[in-house]
Amino acid sequence: MSDSPARSQKAQKVLERFAKKLNRQMVGSLLACVHCGMCTDACHYVLANPGDPTFAPAYKADQVRRIFKRHFDWTGRVFPWWVKAKSVYSDDDLEQLKDIIFGKCTNCRRCSINCPMGVDFATFNRMARGLLVSVGVMPEGVAVASKDQWELGNQMGVLREDYLETLDWVSEELRQELGDPNAGIPIDVMNCDVVYAINPREIKYDPRTIADAAKIFHLAGENWTMPSEGWDMTNFGLFSGDDDLGGAVARRLYDKVEELRGKKLVISECGHGYRSTRCEGQNWGGVDVDFEMESSVITMLCYIKEGRIRIDPFKNNKSYTYHDSCNNARSCGLFEEPRELLQIVCNDFREMYPNRAENYCCTGGGGAMSMSEYSAQRLKSAKIKADQLKATGAKVVVTSCHNCVDGLTDLIRYYKLGMEVMQLVNLVANAAIVKEKVTAALP
Amino acid sequence: MSGLLHFSEHTLQEAALIFMAIVYTLRLRWLLRFKAGRERQAPTGLPETSKARGIIYSWANIAMPWAMESTRTKVFVYVQFVVFHLGVAASIALSFIIPYVPKLLELSFFVRIFQIIIGTAFLVGILRIIRRVKSVYLRAISAPDDYFSLALLTSWFFLAFLSVPNSTAGGEWHLIAFFLLTAFFLIYVPFSKISHYLYYPFARYYFGKTMGHRGVYPIKHFPEIRR
Repeated sequence: MSDSPARSQKAQKVLERFAKKLNRQMVGSLLACVHCGMCTDACHYVLANPGDPTFAPAYKADQVRRIFKRHFDWTGRVFPWWVKAKSVYSDDDLEQLKDIIFGKCTNCRRCSINCPMGVDFATFNRMARGLLVSVGVMPEGVAVASKDQWELGNQMGVLREDYLETLDWVSEELRQELGDPNAGIPIDVMNCDVVYAINPREIKYDPRTIADAAKIFHLAGENWTMPSEGWDMTNFGLFSGDDDLGGAVARRLYDKVEELRGKKLVISECGHGYRSTRCEGQNWGGVDVDFEMESSVITMLCYIKEGRIRIDPFKNNKSYTYHDSCNNARSCGLFEEPRELLQIVCNDFREMYPNRAENYCCTGGGGAMSMSEYSAQRLKSAKIKADQLKATGAKVVVTSCHNCVDGLTDLIRYYKLGMEVMQLVNLVANAAIVKEKVTAALP
Repeated sequence: MSGLLHFSEHTLQEAALIFMAIVYTLRLRWLLRFKAGRERQAPTGLPETSKARGIIYSWANIAMPWAMESTRTKVFVYVQFVVFHLGVAASIALSFIIPYVPKLLELSFFVRIFQIIIGTAFLVGILRIIRRVKSVYLRAISAPDDYFSLALLTSWFFLAFLSVPNSTAGGEWHLIAFFLLTAFFLIYVPFSKISHYLYYPFARYYFGKTMGHRGVYPIKHFPEIRR
């Protein structure tokens, strides 16, 4: 980075906004690092790039921390060289910072839980992303997805007509599959027990997950609906660090549930969508909600436990392992329920090591799948995940996250692992016993 | 006891302690001026997790090497950490024992224990300096303050080791040097990385609170690593 005293307008704005973004948690994390290096091996980027310190979490964190020190810390302000404090001056400085905070980190939070000091790098990395985004410095893919989410209400630019048309033909196919004219997807029904929100990827690339969810709701006899608008539970604000976008997107969905007077919002399997809607949206939007929110994983598990749907695990006759989405596991504590559900719906479950809150990122997290300029770097770092997958010997990797589905599919192809990627909803729907087609039943 | 040694043990230490207390108070005031973030959402995760449990777990984390992969898989580094910080605690204690309860140092058992702890901490300090210089990762993240603080602490351990018997038979220089360095520490620490212990409770408190509320802390499963 340049040491020139002249500062670009963008750099000036970044510094002004930096001060406004700081809260006590963040300042604690910015101050507490002792450069012990214990976080180094926690990062999949480091493990896949041995000997390159620029991937080390503490190094990446220091690129943000040095700015903090230069402008807010006593020693850094007086003797910057002593603590490696440094400001940003030019647009080039911001571009270099962008390549680190977007390109070399998926905000997976694995370093955070491995830091002896409790430094939550992922949180202030996201804050730094937000600062750059506020001055228009971001990967192209992040800009496009954010624009779509602001303007069209979903991050993939799905038009209302396409959305409704897709739900319509999914409903038609479901009626045919079940031979039940009452099956289908109810739209905008008031006072339902469940309002179901999805990831636009399901409309665009994977409508079978919608069909599977609809089948499960129907078999469970659920009083449910999907909204015609405000249906996107994903939130690019999480990846871009833009709290305004995050709050607006979350509020759009909350408002829709309230408008429909739904009792519970069920969020389809998506790590960042679940985290954004369930755990972050209210904070970004500054709102409290009166209805319940849960992951569809929990909903499906409850249906089985309550006997509302019956399962034949022999229908899923391959070997399965489970990949924990970072957002689900490390930021929302959702790791036991998916395992419990998976072990009910299949007979050959093989644990992946390490797992749960210690699992490695699929390498597609933090919006990385939308940042094509960093794809080569991402796939190289995916070696760690690939080795993890391979060691399980499973034929199918199951995950509760659409982002992970894409990330895993990409790395499985790249490393020629020959594995299949599925979601729990696929397995539950496949194993669900439809009355007319009973082959075996659990006691 | 010479006038210089008496001054170093008492007046200088007391002045340095007052200075440190003032600076720390200002530092804490500054930190508390930042607004604490609030989590509006209902808790997630298993019922045995909560904000309070997360905070306690987070604080206790440092004493549970099995709780983090980073400490679980680097046992030797963790042991070094423990010894180093025991050495710090013993040396701080020594800086109070010598001027205020010197009788304790007439017990040879007590002296031996202190010398073992501080002497081992000194060796760990040397190892840590070597590690910081040798590791490409640590070099990349180290600032002059990191090297200086570590070298200073290691030197302090050395002087503390010599000062434990509180004997002036061979001269006072080691005691004077120990107390001069202690005073320098008290003044320098708030401006260096060594002040991390002031921020540690904050960083861990908020991280534990967040992770507890989100159902991650306390972690129940410590997965075997089969890499």
